[in-house]
Amino acid sequence: MSASLHEQPRLGARGARFGYLALALGVIAVLAGLYLGRAQDDGFRRFQHAWLFACLFFLSLSLGALFFVIIQHLTRAAWSVVVRRVAELLAANTPIVALLFAPLVILALRGDSGLYPWVDAQALAADPLLDGKAVFLEPRFFGLRCLVYFGAWALLGRWLLQRSLEQDGASDAAATLKLERRSAVALIAFALSANFAAFDLLMTLDPAWYSTIFGVYFFAGSVMAFFAAMIVLLRLLQANRMLDKSVNVEHYHDLGKFLFAFVFFWSYIAFSQYMLIWYADLPEETAWFQQRQHGSWAVVSLVLLAGHFVLPFAGLLSRHAKRRLWLLSFWAVWLLCMHAVDLFWLVMPSVEHQGALVRPMDAACLVGVGGIWLFGLTRLAAKAALIPVNDPRLPQSLAFENL
Amino acid sequence: MAEPLHAAVESRALFGLVAEFDDVGSVTRAARAVRDAGYERFDVYSPFPIHGIERAMGLRPTHLPWIVLALGLCGTSVALLLQWWTNAVDYPFRISGKPLFGIPANIPITFELTVLFAAFAAFFGMLVLNRLPEHHHALFELERFARASDDGFFLAIEAGDARFDAASTRNLLQSLTPLEVLACHDSGQSLKPPIGVRAGILALVALALLPFAAFASVRWSTSASAPFHLVKDMDSQPRFRAQAGNAHFDDGRAMRPDPQGTVAFDALIDDPLLLTGRGGETWSETLALPLTPQFLQRGRERFGIFCAPCHGLAGYGDGLVAARALELQETNWVPPASLHDPIVRSRPAGQLFDTVRNGVRTMPGYARQIPVEDSWAIVAYVRALQRSQNATLSDVPAAEQAKLGAQ
Repeated sequence: MSASLHEQPRLGARGARFGYLALALGVIAVLAGLYLGRAQDDGFRRFQHAWLFACLFFLSLSLGALFFVIIQHLTRAAWSVVVRRVAELLAANTPIVALLFAPLVILALRGDSGLYPWVDAQALAADPLLDGKAVFLEPRFFGLRCLVYFGAWALLGRWLLQRSLEQDGASDAAATLKLERRSAVALIAFALSANFAAFDLLMTLDPAWYSTIFGVYFFAGSVMAFFAAMIVLLRLLQANRMLDKSVNVEHYHDLGKFLFAFVFFWSYIAFSQYMLIWYADLPEETAWFQQRQHGSWAVVSLVLLAGHFVLPFAGLLSRHAKRRLWLLSFWAVWLLCMHAVDLFWLVMPSVEHQGALVRPMDAACLVGVGGIWLFGLTRLAAKAALIPVNDPRLPQSLAFENL
Repeated sequence: MAEPLHAAVESRALFGLVAEFDDVGSVTRAARAVRDAGYERFDVYSPFPIHGIERAMGLRPTHLPWIVLALGLCGTSVALLLQWWTNAVDYPFRISGKPLFGIPANIPITFELTVLFAAFAAFFGMLVLNRLPEHHHALFELERFARASDDGFFLAIEAGDARFDAASTRNLLQSLTPLEVLACHDSGQSLKPPIGVRAGILALVALALLPFAAFASVRWSTSASAPFHLVKDMDSQPRFRAQAGNAHFDDGRAMRPDPQGTVAFDALIDDPLLLTGRGGETWSETLALPLTPQFLQRGRERFGIFCAPCHGLAGYGDGLVAARALELQETNWVPPASLHDPIVRSRPAGQLFDTVRNGVRTMPGYARQIPVEDSWAIVAYVRALQRSQNATLSDVPAAEQAKLGAQ
């Protein structure tokens, strides 16, 4: 099996222009969001939730990419080489999310309990359910943990990209071998950090509630959203005549299989979490679902059940659906939207007690963080070829065919 | 010597022509060429699956996924029907207040059966669609063909193909640069497994039926001997039944009188007032223990744990259990008494204590859960509750009266 690379695609000047456009749009959206948050007149409480929601959405895409790249090295996967660079760029883009997330940590350190109610130590001590968690739910300790999480992701993403770029210009496969050897450690670091970050950033919004599977739930949704984002990004690049000679339906087919698998994995984990809490029926655990099963939040829950599981499961089940690119792209966009609904459903009930209400500032924050995140992505991509041009398994990947 | 042997070979039915190739690339190219030449009855044999070979051979997509889907859905419905019938219809048994047929509880079984049915469909469907197991195949007669499971790549065009012609097909195969082209003859060996294998399978099937035959024969026959008892569990224990005889004791009885000096649980009444709430023949009007703030506080806590679920925190008989029973419209539910009912209020403290210990009407006694001191503490708190709900302004301390007046 041999095939050769017919292109050395780079993002080029058009990509850079797109990046600056995204940045400009993002900054305007952030300012609009801040204005709307101020108009809410609740000490930016609602805005902080919207901001967390937007940061988590783009963070989850990068975390999914980090997991994907590590797994590819760990299993010495050949099929994915042509799409791996795009994933590496996504994975290396966490520092910009760290920068955007930092204000929320600073607010917590300054004693603003608008987002995380446990920042208020007195409220914590007054509740016997929370008093025992006081050691962990401590703003300075929280800040330190955030530093560790984002630091680990930044280092991992940067390391994976740098070694891969090193391979681009190398005459032997030493860089690739090093990536393969160290990916096991990287995977452990990723698993621990992503798990605890989900507890810290999301679960503590309701400090009384706990679910040990929650980290896996966040991970499952993140990886699913990453595969959806990959499909959309690759289609966009190909529409702009990049990667169109290297990435073909076979690679999309495999990305589609992963997308399908993680749609189901998310559902499996979401249901496991729900069933155990439903069955045990303990008041401190059911309260979280109680909130999401009443009023318009119940409608959102049902939308998730249908849109995040039943419909895409049926839609992506067939081989033909994964090989028809327009259909696959449709489900990818659909699932990205559903991932946003999922995160909204995780974050917002702790501030929107009356019901599921999407405010303009949610859209502004999503566009704002997204624009800045995309700008970061184009800056990273400007330095690199969009394919690991000298990867030892590139010919195998180019000639890849599904069974 | 060679001539007669050759003739003998030719006399057997020709299965087809087999070309051997060196590697994946050449056999894939050959498959493409044979497909383009219009052949349909041909196959490729390789030691491992070749990516893309089905397109090179022009194979139609398999129907297997539809079979798997159908049987998977079948598994889903079987699981749901099974659980609905057993749990909600045939033997309804409510467990911890859950619905008889609650979807969340039934999903794990449904999931497992769906996967099981789909996996069976995939495995057995694959066998059936491939017409497997097949005991004998003409290609096995070629000695070289054994390498198909090691390092050989083969392409065989069957003689049954409409386009097959011994000469032109051989030319086509030769043009594809194989290592060798061989004619494959079918020895006409029976496709059935040898008699030994068939007899073995039959014997296994017969053996598998034996236990069922044994069950059936025992089920419809009578016997004077005791039933089979493979697993004894606790059916027969080395113990004596009540009222039975036992030769080991002088009086010949299995039931033993209490040894001298035995005092049964709560049989010792050294302080009747404290332990029964009675002073002589009548209920005590006062508490048997001194009233202190700590004592009352203890009573409040115990009341919250043991009494409030039914009687409610304020004692009006509106606890969570009562509210739930009302919501479910339970027909045989007797509502708990309100502690502010005039009859309850008029009861002496000793009688309330007795109620806590031994229960009244449908209320069970709590003597086993609540120690004597705590029972009195609860009585003290109930008295306080009753007074709080029927208090006059003069009951309020003077300092607090002023505040009430201000409101």
